[in-house]
Amino acid sequence: MNESQQTFAAPSPPLGHHPDAGLNLRPAAGRGGPASRLDGASIGQTIGTVTVIDPVFSCRDVNVYYGAKQALKGVSLDVGKKQVLAMIGPSGCGKSTFLRCLNRMNDTIAGARVTGQILLDGQDIQDQSRDVVQLRARVGMVFQKPNPFPKSIYDNVAFGPRLHGLVRSRADLDELVCTSLQRAGLWDEVKDRLTQSGTGLSGGQQQRLCIARTIAVKPHVILMDEPCSALDPIATARIEDLIDELKESFAIAIVTHSMQQAARVSQRTAYFHLGSLVEVGETDRIFTNPRHRLTEDYITGRFG
Amino acid sequence: MLEGHISKSFDGELAGLHIRVLEMGGLALDQVRAAARGYAEWDVVNAQHVIDREGILKTLGGRIYDDQLTLIALRNPVASDLRAIIALAKIAAELDRVGAEACKIARTVLQQSGRPGRGTSSDARHLANLATALLRLSLEALDQVDAELADQVIDRDRDLDAEYAAGLRRLLTRALENPAQVEVTVEAAFALKALERIGDHARNVSEHIAGMAAHVVRTTRTP
Repeated sequence: MNESQQTFAAPSPPLGHHPDAGLNLRPAAGRGGPASRLDGASIGQTIGTVTVIDPVFSCRDVNVYYGAKQALKGVSLDVGKKQVLAMIGPSGCGKSTFLRCLNRMNDTIAGARVTGQILLDGQDIQDQSRDVVQLRARVGMVFQKPNPFPKSIYDNVAFGPRLHGLVRSRADLDELVCTSLQRAGLWDEVKDRLTQSGTGLSGGQQQRLCIARTIAVKPHVILMDEPCSALDPIATARIEDLIDELKESFAIAIVTHSMQQAARVSQRTAYFHLGSLVEVGETDRIFTNPRHRLTEDYITGRFG
Repeated sequence: MLEGHISKSFDGELAGLHIRVLEMGGLALDQVRAAARGYAEWDVVNAQHVIDREGILKTLGGRIYDDQLTLIALRNPVASDLRAIIALAKIAAELDRVGAEACKIARTVLQQSGRPGRGTSSDARHLANLATALLRLSLEALDQVDAELADQVIDRDRDLDAEYAAGLRRLLTRALENPAQVEVTVEAAFALKALERIGDHARNVSEHIAGMAAHVVRTTRTP
């Protein structure tokens, strides 16, 4: 496996709030080996393996600017199939910005500029001749605040397949709606009230409805932007259990403020800091033996 | 007791840890039986097998340690889950010591300093039967997370300790009558002690299980 070879032309921004800023590299003994922990203020190269075998998304050297401000700095990262990639980091680190690149949601933000290569199944999604609506069916998104349409539960799920012409008959549509709601773990709770409004459901149910809506259009990838932060712990646990099941069929990329959620739900974790990708690796290694000092400090709550 | 979480994968990981500790227990029990048989029959081949298989036990112990680290780091367990994971860690450590005691018994055979006499051999066989039964019962208690079975082991270990004391006294009496056999006597004492220690470890395993089961929250009445 190759280490990322990306380097930065400009020096990293000073970390005024980092207590160890300016220290030399100090190897620490640990189960990972003699020089396995890198201290210091610099985020030169991304630590860990950014690539996966047979990725669904392959991003190279992605930069995002909001006007003059650079929000993402030369990020290279793959999203793998049949696994959950969690993106963690403090507020403003670029994780949501990166997520929004994957379905071109940054297009909707005035003054946003994205450079670099973002390949979905080998094809560049930045190509302006490509249909962005189609893209957003292949790359579904679940948002922090559940946002069901002000329509019936049935129509919430049926809307996408109708729009994209995925079904030919009413019977097929009924089956697709049923299957989607079942896979989202919501069918039993709503099967007798499909004509009722989606907005009348509880928060957790609304979020599962949004997931059903997303999977009804048969995406390749599901993006989730803090999908549980508006939900109580039980609803959160049910959605996380659902994510466990969904990863068998879809690649999932999740941004979360909760490190514990990232630890519970993902197989790979990527740590972002001030617009850079600091470290990426298998979740169990990141949370037992991270290799960059910044990652360790963040996950142990030593700075925020 | 370890299951019932909304997250089925968490249930699976805890069950996996439980099963792996049981597997380690089964291996440790096999080692004790083989070492006891080797001692009784003064069989060098059997004894060598015990030494050779010690590595498997160590490897499994290492795997259990890694799994626990991962479980604690990734799941942030609390309350009964946390106590169960810690108890299983301590139980694995006890089972590792059981393996070490079995190796001590095997090594007395490999030392070949002299086969123990009929009296000592008979005492050793009796202690081995008691120790093996205690260990097997403690593993059953672990399988069911059964506090009552665990309590039985804790009681019966007192009998094993008494039998060991009596056996040691008989050994010392025979030694006084045969001073030239001092090396054989010392080796035999080590073997008897190892069997007594195996009983102690089985008792420790049971104490951890009793602790796990005792902390189950039983109050269900709501105000």
